[in-house]
Amino acid sequence: MSDMDIDHDPRERQRTVEAGQPEGQVEKDDLDHLFDLDDSELDKVDNPWMTGTKPISSNADAGDIHQQLMLYYRHFFPFKPFFQWLNYDIAPKPSKSFLNREICWTLMDDTFIRFQSYRTLEEFKNDMIRLNPAKFDLGAIYNIRPKDRHMVRPTAFIPVAKEMVFDIDMTDYDEIRTCCKGADVCNKCWEFMTVAMKIIDVAMRDDFGFKHILWVYSGRRGIHCWIADERARKLNNDQRKAIVSYLEVIKGGAQQGKKVKLPNTLHPSLSRSFETIQEHFRNLVFESQEILSEPENWEKILTLIPDEGVQARIRQSWEDSPNRAPSLKWAELLDSIGDEIAQHSAKRQALEHFPRDIMFQFTYPRLDDKVSTNINHLLKSPFCVHPKTGRVCVPIPIEDCEDFDPSSPPTVPQLVQELNQYDATHPTSDDDSNKLQDWQKTSLRKHVEYFERFLKGLSREMREKKQKGR
Amino acid sequence: MFTQHNRKSRQLLASGIKSTYDDDLYPTRLNFYREPPLLEISIEEFEQFALDRMQVLQALLTAQMRNLTPEQLDKAVNEAIRKYMPMSPNSKSNTSHRQLMEERRKDHISHFILRLAYSRSQELRSWFLRAECALFRYRFEKEMLKDQLEFLEKQNLSWKKVSDEDKRLLREKLKTSSFKAGNIDEETYFEVDFERVTGLVGRRQVYIQAGKAFVRLSDQVVLVLDEFKERLSHALEVTGRALPRMDEDDRLMPVLNNINKQYLGREFTSSAIAGEIQASDVDTLKVHMPLCMEHLHDELRREKHTRHGGRMQYGLFLKGMGLSLEQALIFWQMAFEKITPEQFNKNYAYNVRHTYGMEGKRTDYTPYSCKSIIMNNAPGPGDHHGCPFRHFSAPNLRAQLAAHNVDEFDTDDIIHKVQQRHYQIACTRYYEVTRAKMVGISPENVKGGLSDSATGSMIASQEVIEHPNQFFEQSYLLMKSKNAESEGGAASGATGAGEGMDGVTGPAPLDATVKGRYTYKKAGASISSNVQHDIDM
Repeated sequence: MSDMDIDHDPRERQRTVEAGQPEGQVEKDDLDHLFDLDDSELDKVDNPWMTGTKPISSNADAGDIHQQLMLYYRHFFPFKPFFQWLNYDIAPKPSKSFLNREICWTLMDDTFIRFQSYRTLEEFKNDMIRLNPAKFDLGAIYNIRPKDRHMVRPTAFIPVAKEMVFDIDMTDYDEIRTCCKGADVCNKCWEFMTVAMKIIDVAMRDDFGFKHILWVYSGRRGIHCWIADERARKLNNDQRKAIVSYLEVIKGGAQQGKKVKLPNTLHPSLSRSFETIQEHFRNLVFESQEILSEPENWEKILTLIPDEGVQARIRQSWEDSPNRAPSLKWAELLDSIGDEIAQHSAKRQALEHFPRDIMFQFTYPRLDDKVSTNINHLLKSPFCVHPKTGRVCVPIPIEDCEDFDPSSPPTVPQLVQELNQYDATHPTSDDDSNKLQDWQKTSLRKHVEYFERFLKGLSREMREKKQKGR
Repeated sequence: MFTQHNRKSRQLLASGIKSTYDDDLYPTRLNFYREPPLLEISIEEFEQFALDRMQVLQALLTAQMRNLTPEQLDKAVNEAIRKYMPMSPNSKSNTSHRQLMEERRKDHISHFILRLAYSRSQELRSWFLRAECALFRYRFEKEMLKDQLEFLEKQNLSWKKVSDEDKRLLREKLKTSSFKAGNIDEETYFEVDFERVTGLVGRRQVYIQAGKAFVRLSDQVVLVLDEFKERLSHALEVTGRALPRMDEDDRLMPVLNNINKQYLGREFTSSAIAGEIQASDVDTLKVHMPLCMEHLHDELRREKHTRHGGRMQYGLFLKGMGLSLEQALIFWQMAFEKITPEQFNKNYAYNVRHTYGMEGKRTDYTPYSCKSIIMNNAPGPGDHHGCPFRHFSAPNLRAQLAAHNVDEFDTDDIIHKVQQRHYQIACTRYYEVTRAKMVGISPENVKGGLSDSATGSMIASQEVIEHPNQFFEQSYLLMKSKNAESEGGAASGATGAGEGMDGVTGPAPLDATVKGRYTYKKAGASISSNVQHDIDM
């Protein structure tokens, strides 16, 4: 993903904008007018599950990912709220935020099509259905339309705004994670993500004063965070960098053992984070990850002790009785360090905060900082379907972050099945049923509705601001 | 040339009021440059002031980029300041008041001239902003506390002070937010948007709550600088927009345009510092080439061929060295020894002539600068052009450096600079290390523009390598002066550039006798005009 900020110009496809679609073509102040290509008008015959009367529902028959995505984009992608989000305006007319936003499509063959931008939602929707991308990323909002960038000097094409984003990926936890490796994820290690969400969310709200924060499941083994406050969108790279380094505690690469070096007195923000860490540390590190249960795992902690004498003593003791409860072992570690300091006060500096730093190292969020610090970095959009897992990248309400199960977001076959079930039980003559969007008939509904609540918060603030401005 | 005062410059810099040195005008040597200077100035002064300030700004930026110790940095910067734009503090007793004001007036005026010169494009504006902020910060930090406070008092900065009540409420938070925090009750705190103090936020050395940062008085340099930057940035935008309206001035514009070219570095046309070079001289001159060109040369000799990107980069470099078109045709034809003269004429001669502006749209191409080699046209598989510091993998670069007898310590230093993406600084360090060896002094003595011996200080030229031809010329002149030095100023070494190769002896003696060994029929005659553009094999 680190290559994503490179301009893939050679591979990028040029499209001509159809004539007769000048800007401001949409005059009516009616949001629905923007959606002439409504879901209901789409040809449902394309749906292989809809041929014949008997809906086919098992995953084995769900077709390949191409077909799944095609169905998803046509029936389930929540275009209307999505547009409302990117438009950042209470008026339904496409604003600069939407018009000048870079969209980057990633096709099935891994071709990137960077710097795409759209004049209307309809144009965006048509391209999405035509290209049937494996996923798409959102880039920055530029000073001009990204598609028009060749009309100006390269230096005059400037990113001016974007949500402040965070990307947390489970692979960064592989060195401390014992339940799964690589692409796998389970409820045990998902707790790392829960901790990350809690810590970052409260820091963004309390410290930086941001309110409109959207957490999104990345579709496989991580989470994304989109901070949509106007103030956050306007941050420049230096300011983004400052926020990231304000949060960052775990530093150093694979060759670096102890990755946390904090001062004796914790900054108020870290004191608060430390409380969250204390809530989760024992369950996550001792119970779920069993770090103190196996020699090869507990070595991850022991080798970091900056005093060889203490290290050897604890190792000996743990090897002598390896089956003691983890909490007893941890207590012994704390005692040994305490004794050592009592006997040699010179070692206080090195040892005193070792247990605290270890707790940080094994629970504190690990950020992919490049994604956050560069305003024009791309990040996969919410409501994409992860091409490997087939799951929809749904928003995660922060108040429910403890209960989120990464295997719960719906897959496309599941959505199709739910849609078919709904249509089978609700005759088409039913007026209410006709008015509904397809996603409203499925389990995607609650996720989109949560997203709409997030949008409501944004538009309330925009309305208040407009009224004040008058 | 101009003795009379320039009417238009007066219009531009002031509203026509003739001013004498006002006591209140420059109470300290720090200046926020809010008001343009109200005085007349001659066109010579206009240009000289601007160029002098450029010297200071460039010396400061270069010194900062080179990772010097604070003492080395001070020495390098102060040298430039003393030479080009001295600024005495109020406390300096042996400076007359008049002289103080004179210095500060020059500072004031030169700032505004550069502001004009650098407001034209975004790129220029951002360079100037960076340079001026660096200078302001440097000066502010060097200023006595008394003068700092006096300066700040006059600025009417609208920072919101934190009330005692709030301070009491936040006491613990403020205390744990900065290890430097002393007695909270006695310390003055300001409340500002966190965006303005990114450095403090990034280092977690300030308390922030709901987007507001609580900054201690002693951290104020951050705020002052931010204020300075914000105002200057805004002023530059305004000036940039107003600039087209003064384009009719035919005296100032050339001066301004000349000034803002300075930082972009010299453009090398055929400079021929080594005299007119013959095709056969190239191998002996290789020792003076930068790594990128040496590499291209070696690969050309090894493969008997070079692809298009390499031919452009190396060919134009040779042109800049003083290789004439005729000699260039000889050089390339000899180098491509596996192909017949007919094939060469058919496929390559047009290309060579094209780069000399003798074909096609007849652009007289200039050699690529480091910037363009680093930024544009990255090498693909089979290509040897590009910048070794930018485009080589670390192991390959290490091997190259080892082959040039760069020791491990310096190699690490260079690799470190590469990792920080300071490719040109890395190249400059490479220059310093290898050239010091070439003239037989320790590389340690040439870091950061400081050296005891004359030759040493020549190596430690304060300029960063910005152009391969600059590297070549510096190296070439160095050898020349070294030879002059060792020969006790014998006539041969003392002759200037343009004298040809004859004066140069030393580790890489140039064989003057090879001149004109080749007879060559003018290639043009046999080239048909319909040869394809830009053939690449």
